[in-house]
Amino acid sequence: MIRLLANLCFAGSLLAFAIGTLGLFRLPDPYTRLHGVGMGDTLGVGLAGLGLLLLSPTWALRVKLLIVLALFWTINPTMTHLVAKAGLIHGVYPVEGTKVIKGQG
Amino acid sequence: MRKRSLFLCALLVAFWLAVSAEVDIQHLLVGAVLAVLTVWFWQDLGPRLPRLLSGGELLLLGHCLLSLVRFIIESNISVAKTILLSNPSVGPIFVVMRPPIESQWARVLLANCITITPGTITVDIDPETGQFIVHVLTYKAAVELSNWRIIRVISHLESWKQRRTEHAMATGRSHDIDSLRAVAGDYRSDSH
Repeated sequence: MIRLLANLCFAGSLLAFAIGTLGLFRLPDPYTRLHGVGMGDTLGVGLAGLGLLLLSPTWALRVKLLIVLALFWTINPTMTHLVAKAGLIHGVYPVEGTKVIKGQG
Repeated sequence: MRKRSLFLCALLVAFWLAVSAEVDIQHLLVGAVLAVLTVWFWQDLGPRLPRLLSGGELLLLGHCLLSLVRFIIESNISVAKTILLSNPSVGPIFVVMRPPIESQWARVLLANCITITPGTITVDIDPETGQFIVHVLTYKAAVELSNWRIIRVISHLESWKQRRTEHAMATGRSHDIDSLRAVAGDYRSDSH
């Protein structure tokens, strides 16, 4: 049963990475492609980690996996932010039709 | 400060042992030496570290993270629909917003929450004004962002910590005003 659940998690992870990769081709500019890649980085990695947690034989290994996941989810948004900011600073133009609106506050 | 340094050392040794292949005297000694060296090397950052969270704050933070997991799953489904079915269609927008959050740690937390949710990326934050520039993939995501529940939860957490800090200062329970200021977010980042 646990193996089946783990396999379902791995299948979901594969699906998330596959759709994210498809997004690299289908989305129009570097900023929007970051959103596509984000799918693999969040749900893809999360489901792969959950599957590995289910299959882990010891608690020590589970703790290590949780630390890896926590580090990944902390570092990943930071790097995504840096890539987007570097793009904006270095003059990477967004796709034509991108709007700028003023939000809350 | 000494108590805080000891706590940081213990935390680093625990982390070292957690990621070590095995727990023996050799790993313990190397971990302890590295922890002491690391804490000594970064001691200037000490006053910037916030104090430990109280039980109520931890619960609120846990609630915030659980809500975030739900939003991440919903956003993943939404982005997948945009990529596969173009429904909602791609309509990239840069949203310029100023959420009601004043301290630096809360801004960093909100920026990470925004970026980790697919469909929204924090491109820039002005540390002086607290203005966020967020890139969103669809108009629907932009509308949802302006009423995002996480913003209210983080704002609530921030005001809670602020009240506790003011209370601690008023009752004179803390001898370390620098760390209280750091908690209150008075420290400004020296790099943008």
